[in-house]
Amino acid sequence: MTRTLAPLVGAALDRVDGARKVAGAAPYPNDVRYPDLAYAALVRATISAGRVSGIETEGAEGAPGVLTVITHLTAPRLSRGPATSIGPQPTPPLQGDRVDYDGQYLAVVVAGTREQAVAAADLVEVRYEVDEPVLRTEDPRAEREENPWHFDTTRGDPAGALRTAEVRVDSTYTTPHLTNNPLGPFTTVARWDGDDLTVHDSTQHTANTRSALAGVFGIPEERVRVLAPFVGGGFGAGLRSWPHVTVAAMAARVVGRPVALELTRPEMFTGTGGRPSTVQRIRLGSTVDGRLVAIDHHAEYPAAMDDAVRYRVTPRGAGAYACPNFAARDVQVRLNVPPTGHMRAPGTAEGLFALECALDELAFRLDIDPVDLRLRNVAEVDPENGRPWTTTGLRECYRVGAERFGWYGRSPAPCSMRDGHRMVGYGMAGVTFGWTMMPCRAAATLHPDGTATIATSATDIGTGTYTILTQLAADLLDLPPDWVRVELGDTRLPKAPAAGGSGLTAAVTNAVQDACRNLLEIVRNGHPRGTDVRAEGASAPPEREDVAPSGAFAAVFAEVRVDPDLGELRVVRLVTAVDGGRIMNPKLAASQIIGGTVGGLGMALMERTTPDPGSGRIMNANLGDYLVPVHADVPDVDVLFVGGPDPLTPMGVKGVGEVGVVGVAPAVANAVHHATGRRLRALPLTVENLL
Amino acid sequence: MGPGVREPTTTVTVNGARLVANLDARVTLLDALRDRFGLTGTKKGCDQGTCGSCTVLVDGRRVLSCLTLFAQCDGRQVTTIEGLADHPLRAAFIKHDAFQCGYCTPGQIVSAAALIREGRAGRDEDIREYMSGNLCRCGAYPRILAAIREVASGAHA
Repeated sequence: MTRTLAPLVGAALDRVDGARKVAGAAPYPNDVRYPDLAYAALVRATISAGRVSGIETEGAEGAPGVLTVITHLTAPRLSRGPATSIGPQPTPPLQGDRVDYDGQYLAVVVAGTREQAVAAADLVEVRYEVDEPVLRTEDPRAEREENPWHFDTTRGDPAGALRTAEVRVDSTYTTPHLTNNPLGPFTTVARWDGDDLTVHDSTQHTANTRSALAGVFGIPEERVRVLAPFVGGGFGAGLRSWPHVTVAAMAARVVGRPVALELTRPEMFTGTGGRPSTVQRIRLGSTVDGRLVAIDHHAEYPAAMDDAVRYRVTPRGAGAYACPNFAARDVQVRLNVPPTGHMRAPGTAEGLFALECALDELAFRLDIDPVDLRLRNVAEVDPENGRPWTTTGLRECYRVGAERFGWYGRSPAPCSMRDGHRMVGYGMAGVTFGWTMMPCRAAATLHPDGTATIATSATDIGTGTYTILTQLAADLLDLPPDWVRVELGDTRLPKAPAAGGSGLTAAVTNAVQDACRNLLEIVRNGHPRGTDVRAEGASAPPEREDVAPSGAFAAVFAEVRVDPDLGELRVVRLVTAVDGGRIMNPKLAASQIIGGTVGGLGMALMERTTPDPGSGRIMNANLGDYLVPVHADVPDVDVLFVGGPDPLTPMGVKGVGEVGVVGVAPAVANAVHHATGRRLRALPLTVENLL
Repeated sequence: MGPGVREPTTTVTVNGARLVANLDARVTLLDALRDRFGLTGTKKGCDQGTCGSCTVLVDGRRVLSCLTLFAQCDGRQVTTIEGLADHPLRAAFIKHDAFQCGYCTPGQIVSAAALIREGRAGRDEDIREYMSGNLCRCGAYPRILAAIREVASGAHA
């Protein structure tokens, strides 16, 4: 290649799928229509533990338009698909009488219209033998699994270092159960043609849905096609193939017609995972001049009874602070809760909330500026293995972010700044995010008319994959961007990993670069005129012993106002500086950070999935009672990118999908302490805690 | 249809086209648009009137189509995102990258179009307040604000 990634890569190109989205013409899974489409409605458990002792379906079966009612007594026997990098597949639905959580699917009703299906589902009557559910991690009956995924780490002598440390912090932080709530209700439209299954699915990982369904029904993967060209958001909810996907495919097979199963908003709270609640004890030891000598971080959080999700709350390498002695321990506790999953920056957002707030406590104790404290402890090498980072933009994030925010105009003492009657607080947090990359394939095709097509099974859940691949291919093939067409979200295309873990952009851009290079090689060697020329390419995570791959770094700065009489908390300004490696498109990358920041604001201020303490049923399973940020909650968000391409991969991309979330809640909580002198250690930071 | 479910004759003008249908009386305006008339640009986000994704204009006023029965719209004029093909908000949303997944976008644009026409989009705080019924889980709010502000001020022309 002679061209060096210019001029389109790095340019603020408008989203290439924008015109379809603003017209309402982008086809999401629930927009798919077949002439003989039938509709499914679910019947869910209303207890958290026990068994189904009887289920009456005659009323529903006799209701107008009903095609079938399937229960555990009538459902075909299913297997379980293969495990993935994030753990085993969820338990197949309708396979037994056991109830492990409120909201578990007990039956599905299929009818000619959605109104008929919903009405008939109400007629299914379920009787239970009820057990006493295990709902709290401190319940002595709860099964505890220590070090469930073998991430626990101990380096040096944290206990000894804590004992002899000149200054210590010992605090317990809690974060609530959160629900992803993408605005597009998850939908599966399934259609069988003999033994061939086609599903339109709200997924972030088409290849996973395919292998999950092939495993469930015992058919070869080649017979399953999964389509997800557009998805109404995911934020991690679409990383697993949830039971409703299987129910839809099962129902379509039973009725011999295509079936649409659209989850209702309440079903989204129990059927698509979420961020588990956590209780975290964190202990820091430091010298009087602010050098960390010990970090001990212990986290406990729920997992569902018959499920397992690879998860980690305590941050890797003690959050990448240079500390010679550290320990990190995770404990999963089995409860009668809906299956947990992943929500944007899973684990990291919870773990760094505790760590970054504890560091603020330490800075306050030591009377050291919070930015300076972090600068004194930046890990110049990966604390887990001593290898140098591939890039080190963290110091630059602190410097640029603090400058833009006007951090050093802060009066350090709590309660010392005012805006009229309101107390003013400045707070900040640092973020070292994990690095992820999975193997990926892509194809590039040059057509006789001079246009090109890039194809891969990856989904664009709103991150901008269509656009950045257009930019990249246009540069590499020397074409105008509107001569490049990008096809995504179809398992017939070369296999790509999940849109998750902030890892897709690195994987897919490197694969497309390889495909374009291979295509140009064929073209240069001469090819028959008038035919398509197609080449595939691949990428894989580099295996390097000499360096530590660095994920994105960030520094977040927040300004809050607190009404001293009413306790009302408003976040009035947020600045985030990010080292995201090469930024493919600054407009779209900034949208990722702004969006992450808004998600972090929800975590900080309002979001909490609330179970009834007696029954375990989620009491606020709708968007009226589960509060998410609205227009009026969101202040100006300033995003700055620092650093440059990461030398680890040819494209130099790190991924910016999640890093924007992580620092917001601790920055806001630390700002609240600065404003009020009150240290709130439980999210969300609601008004009753500030009165 | 089964016994007991009425199928009233309903005449509605949707984006200028007169439609007559006899639908199950339980069918909402949202489901009629999406399932019966193929107008899937209007989105279902909650079906409970809490998210704004299904916002359409009925006789020029913003309405949550998930909480409106189709039969209630007899004789009314309905405008959906498909009917706002030439609205400058569409280009402004693209220019300001005022969406990510795009699912809430039709509802945001329909709401904003009404807001601007009502003259309530003059100040940022008004836009933020009056648009607060339209959730965006991708968190594009600052960019939606910028797009609406630009169109409301006439700066897009």
